[in-house]
Amino acid sequence: MNAIILSALGGIVMMFTGIFTQNKIVIKNIAIITLLLLLIGNLLHFYGIYMLHVDVKDMLQFNNFGLFFNTIAFTSTLIYFLLSGTDITKVGINVAEYFALIFFVLCGVSILTSFHNLLMLFLGIEILSIPLYILTGADKKNLKSNEAALKYFLMGSFSTGILLMGIALLYGASGNFSIESVPSTTSKVAEMANSSILTPLGLLFVFVALLFKVSAAPFHFWVPDVYDGAPSVFTSFMATIAKAVGFIAFIFLFESRIAELGPSSRIIIPFVIILTLLIGNITAVFQQSVKRMLAYSSIAQAGFMLFVLYSNNDISSEGILLYSVAYSFATIGIFAILIKMKDYTFEGYNGLAKKEPLIAAANTIFLLSLAGIPLTAGFFAKYYMLLSAIKANGQNALWLVIVAVLFAAVSVYYYFRVIQAMYFKEGNPEIATTNTSFKVILLALAAIIIFIGLFPTVVLNFLYF
Amino acid sequence: MHWLLLASDATNNSAYSYFPIGIQLIFAAGFVAFMIALSQWVGPKRKTNDKLQNFTSGIASHGDARQPMAIKYFLVAILFVLFDVEVIFFYPYAVNFRELGWAGFGAVVMFVSFFLLGFIYIIKKGALKWED
Amino acid sequence: MISLLLILIPLFTGLLTFFLKQEKTAKNFSIFSSVITLGTVCIAIFFAQNNQLLFNTQWLPALGSRFSISLDGMSKALVLLTAISFPVVFIATYTNKYKSSHSFYALMLLTQAGLMGVFMATDALLFYFFWELALIPVYFLSSIWGGEKRIAVTFKFFIYTFIGSLLMLVGILYLYFNTVVPSFQIKDLLAAKISLKEQNILFWLFFIAFAIKMPIFPLHTWQPDAYEQSPTAVTMILSGVMVKMGLFAVLRWLVPLFPESAKTYSNIVIALSVIGMIYASLIAIKQDDIKRLIAYSSIAHIGLMCATIFTQTVIGTTGVMLQMFNHGINVIGLWIVADAIEQQLGTRKFSELGGLAQKAPSLAILFVILALANIALPLTNAFVGEFLMFNSLFQYNVWVAAIAGISIILAAVYTLNMVQKILYGNTVAATEKALDTTLNINWMLIVLVVIVFALGVYPQPIIDLTKDTVNVIVQNR
Repeated sequence: MNAIILSALGGIVMMFTGIFTQNKIVIKNIAIITLLLLLIGNLLHFYGIYMLHVDVKDMLQFNNFGLFFNTIAFTSTLIYFLLSGTDITKVGINVAEYFALIFFVLCGVSILTSFHNLLMLFLGIEILSIPLYILTGADKKNLKSNEAALKYFLMGSFSTGILLMGIALLYGASGNFSIESVPSTTSKVAEMANSSILTPLGLLFVFVALLFKVSAAPFHFWVPDVYDGAPSVFTSFMATIAKAVGFIAFIFLFESRIAELGPSSRIIIPFVIILTLLIGNITAVFQQSVKRMLAYSSIAQAGFMLFVLYSNNDISSEGILLYSVAYSFATIGIFAILIKMKDYTFEGYNGLAKKEPLIAAANTIFLLSLAGIPLTAGFFAKYYMLLSAIKANGQNALWLVIVAVLFAAVSVYYYFRVIQAMYFKEGNPEIATTNTSFKVILLALAAIIIFIGLFPTVVLNFLYF
Repeated sequence: MHWLLLASDATNNSAYSYFPIGIQLIFAAGFVAFMIALSQWVGPKRKTNDKLQNFTSGIASHGDARQPMAIKYFLVAILFVLFDVEVIFFYPYAVNFRELGWAGFGAVVMFVSFFLLGFIYIIKKGALKWED
Repeated sequence: MISLLLILIPLFTGLLTFFLKQEKTAKNFSIFSSVITLGTVCIAIFFAQNNQLLFNTQWLPALGSRFSISLDGMSKALVLLTAISFPVVFIATYTNKYKSSHSFYALMLLTQAGLMGVFMATDALLFYFFWELALIPVYFLSSIWGGEKRIAVTFKFFIYTFIGSLLMLVGILYLYFNTVVPSFQIKDLLAAKISLKEQNILFWLFFIAFAIKMPIFPLHTWQPDAYEQSPTAVTMILSGVMVKMGLFAVLRWLVPLFPESAKTYSNIVIALSVIGMIYASLIAIKQDDIKRLIAYSSIAHIGLMCATIFTQTVIGTTGVMLQMFNHGINVIGLWIVADAIEQQLGTRKFSELGGLAQKAPSLAILFVILALANIALPLTNAFVGEFLMFNSLFQYNVWVAAIAGISIILAAVYTLNMVQKILYGNTVAATEKALDTTLNINWMLIVLVVIVFALGVYPQPIIDLTKDTVNVIVQNR
């Protein structure tokens, strides 16, 4: 509850900061302090200290899992502010509003990590999405940004429509909005219609809408254009925190109900996973721009995260948290460097190692982590996902796991192209001047990724406090 | 009795009793389709350039429709809709305010204060300033 | 505890070397570090108690993985080989110039740490970690300091091995779920309950990973290119020590874990190995480049070792153990010669060389000895190993042994052809002004030649080192 209240208040605080001051540094620092308060408030919830006692009528339920994801999301945002905060202030004139919108997204995140009711799911997704539409179009003078915002908005509202339809059908089947499957005794619709059709159909609609939000194939078509068109700072945020939370919503919703999707779920989910991996990886191989490559790679990473639906056990739940950490931290780092580059193509990175050895080294570690090379957090993220799949289905999962690792090998191809450009090719990359604190934070982030790569259980121990 | 009249028997409620309506629907749709097709087929056609021009009220179009225009009107309109819709929430509260008690009052005060903050925000941002 | 030192010394000195900006300091420091490692290995092998060679501690309790390493008989020979080869390589290439050489030496030492880990790990997950840790520094080494086509070639090498190791990871995970207690320890994996059908699938998952590394015939295409394009110091490590990772892993993990499958598929694997031997030997005959010739000759030798492993006899496995060590020594010697020639004369093509024996007599003598060792002539170390291996192949199937035997004749053809074209005949333009090799190269070659003769006459020490584990591997089936 703390997180929801504080993030909403934080957004309002940021809005009003923009009225009273135009000083970018002040605004940025206020945002960082507010975020710290939010983080502390969320941690206090762990220890049972609440700001308000609100009777939420069981529409929200707080557990360690969701609170821990909140912590991950807020920490990632904090790192994001520290690394790219200055670049946020350079997007346009409404500096404070950008921060305010990010806080509203975090409010959506906090709702999605605690919803226990389909209405709250809908609210959470909307609160999450609408600020993102605006952030996508923040670069008002840029036609590509405008196009991306409109595309995102149209596609997003379409998927929201599908979500609503699904919720309506589920309501029809059970007579209430609870996410648990309570067979209805009162609903007349359920008596009249054959409710054995309504429930799977409703779940399928919700499933599709959420697949859209996490950019899984075949509902991924908006991703490349939106991620490419949006200002790079906001792409970084969209591709990490706003996306990972989709999987948390998935877990809450489908933890107990995946079987109700009908026997076809055993076919649909592997199909979606493989299609996502295929499209994400193969298309990323052909990209010339690092930013666009990262957009496709984020689809590919979603393919791995979707294993959480396939296996749906305790290992996969732990795995998705680890995956969120590994993926968010690494992607935020890569984008923070990308923003500083003038040329977003692979050639733009040529010879970076010579010019900025520290930045290149950190970037290498982030890329290795995304590729899932051992000693980095990314390895254990993928490891947990594969482990959970084998645990869930044993021999039958083996083929899916093998296909997934083959695609992981494909992903090495495009991640390493950046490394090749930085280290093995000659060139004079144009990179904005960076101050020492930027480099220190970047290296600290790289160190954290390696630390998690050595001791992943340290992170997960938070779950069992 | 004639078989058509037999089908329209009100007491006999089955799919068969909708048969006359079906006939009527088919006849109606068929008649429209037939008339359109007939006029298309029989009628004379003269294609000229003028007929393909855009026009409104008989006036020839000129210039580009995509012109920058002041956003003020739309801004005010959308803000009006926003606040107007939010006011709707007062009605259910007014009806139930005795049952909701102090907790409900607190919630509404919170709602109104958020509302007010938004209002202050748009004023401070100059969204309602009509003249530059 | 002492076994842990073998990983930590190169790891930390390697990380430290990144910060030594002076070229000379970095060189001397890394030689110092590798000599210390060699000393530690000698102490560990010849003086330490058995219980000091184990190290086992908590690592990832939730996952059931422990940081457990052990310097047992099987790994002793290879750890010794690793420890010998690094100082030899460093000293022999002492005069080579590298841009930003501190990074070069740092990455070399990290590779050594990874290799040590691979040879000693007794926990499957840890083994996988070191397997990758050894690969990544080599990727950077070859891509930064390699030849003209280095980026594409090294990338091919990397992707190949990465696919292999991921398949192995899947296999490891699957085994993990079938252990009695959740654990990655080799003894628990050995006790895992898996059906024959599962064993057959897992066998191939592991085998592909190891076959890529060795490399075995259809998966070998990365190897000649990678050897040719890598800087020679890296090639020495690649072919001298790294390919042994594959063979070692087959011995330590594949055969013991899946004894039935290893037996079922032994005919396929042996057939592939023998095809690879003949195929690589024939290609080697046609080569005009010293590096490529040694690369193909290496494929042929490795093929013989792999085939012998799958005959699963005591005598053969002993031979493989011995030959893994010997091949490392011989091939590093040959690479040093190749590097000396290339550094001085600027070419590796036979057609541009000739009559070098007149100009560089001491190099010529050492080169001929190493070349003869490559053909496995009696009195050289390789003879003993190959004799044991062919003995085992004869027991398995006479025809297989006969076909594999052709490769010895072919080896003589290509090796002697190379020696003749480079050393004898009239001097040509390139060799007109050649000088004899410098002291550091000569001394290192002499060290290697001494080992060649010593083990050719008296191979018992290495056989003794590995005796216990050979019995374990073969008994286990």
